[in-house]
Amino acid sequence: MTPALHLNDVRKSFGKTEIIRGLELAVHKGERHAIIGPNGAGKSTMFNLITGRFPVTSGNITLHGQDLAGLAPYEINRLGLSRSFQITNIFPNMTVFENVRCSLLWSLGYKYSFWNMVSKSRELNDGAAEILDQINLLDKRDLPAGLLAYADQRALEIGITIAGGADVIMLDEPTAGMSNTETDYIVNLIRQVTENKTLIVVEHDMGVVFDLADRISVLVYGEIIATGAPEEVRGDPKVQEAYLGAALEAEH
Amino acid sequence: MTAIDQTRSTAMGGVTLARALPWIIATAFLMVMPLIFTQNSAITIMNQMAITIVFALAYNMLLGQGGMLSFGHAVYMGLGGFLCVHLMNYVENFEIPLPLPLLPLFGGIFGMGFAMLIGTFSTRNAGTVFAMISLGIGELIAACSIIIVVFFGGEEGISADRTYGLPVFGIEFIKQIEVYYLTTFWLVLSALLMYLFSRTPVGRMANAVRDNPERAEFLGYSARWVRYCSFIASGFFCGVAGGLFAINYEILTEENLNLITSGSILLITFLGGVGLFFGPIIGAIAFTLLQTVLSLETELWQLYVGVLFLATVMFFPGGLAGLMAMHVPVVKLGKMNTLIVPYIKTLVPGAIGLLALSGLIEVIFHAKHATADDHVMSIYWTTFSTHDILPWVVLAVLSVGGIWLAKRNAPELLEAWGNANTLGD
Repeated sequence: MTPALHLNDVRKSFGKTEIIRGLELAVHKGERHAIIGPNGAGKSTMFNLITGRFPVTSGNITLHGQDLAGLAPYEINRLGLSRSFQITNIFPNMTVFENVRCSLLWSLGYKYSFWNMVSKSRELNDGAAEILDQINLLDKRDLPAGLLAYADQRALEIGITIAGGADVIMLDEPTAGMSNTETDYIVNLIRQVTENKTLIVVEHDMGVVFDLADRISVLVYGEIIATGAPEEVRGDPKVQEAYLGAALEAEH
Repeated sequence: MTAIDQTRSTAMGGVTLARALPWIIATAFLMVMPLIFTQNSAITIMNQMAITIVFALAYNMLLGQGGMLSFGHAVYMGLGGFLCVHLMNYVENFEIPLPLPLLPLFGGIFGMGFAMLIGTFSTRNAGTVFAMISLGIGELIAACSIIIVVFFGGEEGISADRTYGLPVFGIEFIKQIEVYYLTTFWLVLSALLMYLFSRTPVGRMANAVRDNPERAEFLGYSARWVRYCSFIASGFFCGVAGGLFAINYEILTEENLNLITSGSILLITFLGGVGLFFGPIIGAIAFTLLQTVLSLETELWQLYVGVLFLATVMFFPGGLAGLMAMHVPVVKLGKMNTLIVPYIKTLVPGAIGLLALSGLIEVIFHAKHATADDHVMSIYWTTFSTHDILPWVVLAVLSVGGIWLAKRNAPELLEAWGNANTLGD
């Protein structure tokens, strides 16, 4: 079976510095895959490479067997891959409802249409309302998104990410900066909305990772040093060493 | 699922009376205006206003809806206008059966065509790059107007006569009032189409790309294509405005293309408010009134417009429309009455102070620039000599006193404003 997402010897250099040094990763269809690793290991860079935000220096990335080389972010998105961002990335001046409705437009085939009225499409408005119901923001639908509380903005970002119906969802630190209750809430939300989808999540909170993930990959200095089920990874001496080493370095 | 059902009922629905009502009122208003203001000069002003409104709305498709700051947008209006002047001449010379009211359509198509060409490279980015390219193109075309004399007519421009075309239902468009109704027809049609454009998928995505182009890309939309679509739509309506200008004035010159015109449409749109659809309409009305009525009163009218613009940018970035919209929540809470007294206490002395201050500026200007023996001037229905000390003292006292009083009462207004915007009493 072709993996949902496959990274084959992916390298990325910024100038002379090689940030990603030969990534090998296969994410199976329908699994929840967490990427962990110390700060600066290249987790966000890896996300940006996969989604076409940066071009790869060498190696290739395939989505359901299709090579993503040279594709722009919007083209990759149209192939069924959607992502969220580490720093909340929504449309702050538009209403919550409008945020979600915009993220449904392409997948419902509206493209660059200027002959349809968005308010007249039942599938568009019902679809947006259903997403809002899933992320529990239905009662705040008419607020400008920028006025939402932080946790709600993160929930909205997840809503925008899943709305287009992509089957590969990538979330970059979805619980960053959240309190424990908020974290529990978002993790439950993620679990619900990614049912039957492939999820790739970067996360620092180990509680979240071991709770959510089917498999975990550990990224250290631009390389995956271990991949496996949560228990295997936890017991791996290389992982313990790398994490401990990085933690010590961070102290200095 | 009751909440969703509720959402359904509010989000759905096509043309309802509540949505059509503002348009019906506006149209009716435009129809009766010439019956109230019957003088030819008033109709001339209203024609100018209508043309400016179309231009400002088209400009705001970029600035407000799409987040693109253009410094050279007069070009698209000007080119549409030039084409229409040429068409009028063709109609006259070759007796082509092209009815005059259709001309703005051709102006629009020409403006759109040019926008399609320029947009291919200018819409690659928003922000500074876009602004600089628009400035460059603006300069380029304005310079071409003196070089390509065949099309632009050099320094005197190109003129035509609209009355030589075929009469439409017996109307020959000799009278201003006939042009007024033609312009009004195009104004309502263009405004409606531009409004509807903002409700389409590409119009909605224009907002999304304005707010956050990167996020829009991760929703499957190319930010560049979305910008390109807004750009050519804007070009079309600018061209329509140009066509209306050609019909109304029967002449186009370099002035219609240059950066001064481009700058003033930016000023008009911002003054009215870029955030709301009707903002540019208010801006165009206010600016045209200042330009026509105030310029008759004083040579310094541009100074006052400049100050007004500056004040808008600094204190009311939402523009005049934003200022109005700020009051909607207050009205909804039923607290407008609590604001009346604080408003009077602050705004009346403030207005007196500012009027006196501008009076003082006028007196200084007159004393400095009038010929030596001309020292009699009249402002605010009063005639006096600038050599007398009394007018100076009165104006100085009024301006200082008025502004001081307004400043003293301002905190009270702010407090009342805060209270009026909170629930409960």
